[in-house]
Amino acid sequence: MSRPLPPGVRAVRLGHGANCSSIGSVVDGLFLAATAGGALFAAVLAALPPPRPDAPVARPRRSDANDDPDADAALDVPRGDPW
Amino acid sequence: MKVRWESWGAWLRTDTPPALVALEDDEARARGLAPPARRPARPMPLEVHLAVTSRCGAGCHGCYLDARPDGEEPPRPQLEAILDALAAADVFTVAFGGGEPTTRTDLADLAMAARARRLVPVLTTSGLGLTPTKIERLRAFGQVNVSYDGAGSAYEAVRGFDGAASAESAIRALTKAGIPVGVNVVLTATTFAHLPATLRRARDLGAREAQLLRYKPAGRGASLDYHAKKLTPSQAASLGPTLRELTLAFADETPAFGLRIDCALVPFLSADPELAHRGDLLEALGIFGCEAGDGLAAVTVAGAVAPCSFLPATDLDAIHLAEGFPSNPGLVALRRSEAPEPCRSCPLQSVCRGGCKVVAHFVGGPAAAGRSLPDPECPRVLAERPSRCERWGERAPSP
Repeated sequence: MSRPLPPGVRAVRLGHGANCSSIGSVVDGLFLAATAGGALFAAVLAALPPPRPDAPVARPRRSDANDDPDADAALDVPRGDPW
Repeated sequence: MKVRWESWGAWLRTDTPPALVALEDDEARARGLAPPARRPARPMPLEVHLAVTSRCGAGCHGCYLDARPDGEEPPRPQLEAILDALAAADVFTVAFGGGEPTTRTDLADLAMAARARRLVPVLTTSGLGLTPTKIERLRAFGQVNVSYDGAGSAYEAVRGFDGAASAESAIRALTKAGIPVGVNVVLTATTFAHLPATLRRARDLGAREAQLLRYKPAGRGASLDYHAKKLTPSQAASLGPTLRELTLAFADETPAFGLRIDCALVPFLSADPELAHRGDLLEALGIFGCEAGDGLAAVTVAGAVAPCSFLPATDLDAIHLAEGFPSNPGLVALRRSEAPEPCRSCPLQSVCRGGCKVVAHFVGGPAAAGRSLPDPECPRVLAERPSRCERWGERAPSP
């Protein structure tokens, strides 16, 4: 299956589950066909604030997720962000 | 909608339908979201598991918290102060657990307190003794999951008593009350074989999703019994195909029935040829492996922060979560620990993060203290490190 999300959207975690011990994740999207899987996310993406009319088209994802001039390097503890 | 800024962009929480969405920085700005002048310190948990009591009369054999009938019940002001701290830390979801949280008579007040702070409260319950009065206290929760490992003997094999009928009654009653309900199913060598029937039964009773949990050696589960109960290597390696079959079996049903796996089951996906090299897909679908001390935190009944509910608590008091979580030495060490090969080169490493540390340290014994070890039950680990696995008594499943 190809990546089911549009540019600019890194991830979608569906639902919130309800488990007090370990953290869970919906896996249906791993196994459904592209159309069915996409439907899972369509409602979520539709609930987001819409892009501004003057907004530029989303750029490809940056490879260095920690390259942020606004971040306070003294406070941020590097996590080795996988994204 | 709740927005939380990160160094790379922002997490957004949608409520209808419930979801978390990660937007790149440019995408968030393009949608009219304005970042703060200074981004908050990170990491910070997205989800916190809050033990609201250690009191429980069920006596489940593998209880990770070692809950007992005379367990502790933190006073409400203490818990509300912790909820304040979670809100200040931009946590999205607080999962109430224990012990048995429904023993608290102020549960509705606590759920409303979480809502007032823009946290989404969810709850896990055994369902035992769930009266109509107790059910009414659960209306403010976003979802209630009932622990249900299977009908009859399957349930008893995990917990040591036959509570299946009570759990089924609870699922039915919660559904009838209009409360979103799911089930938590602990996967053991016994319950794995019954899984299709268990999920079918849960769905027929009204559950809308099942979360599969790997049995873990913590609390009363940290005994030699663990080795007898855990999934066999063959079962672990078959998790991917099993999930695929189950997903497709429920795909066309109305109402929908969803499937979740817990963080500790992610390593087993490495045996699935269609998923073993798809770390990108798992990331896009927001699937979390080990997020202990990072995207996930737990708070004990004593109010201390732990990386997860199965790992020992740190010296960080939960009311100082926002200030202390990023830099707490114990948590920093956990985040920086990097599992050796075969994890380092695994395409799923960015999601899996070396698998379950609780299992790795239990199986590794005293020699594992302070070390970063791969998950010994991961199929990839079993396949590539047979000598060590043989010392642990495992065998890689036959190809």
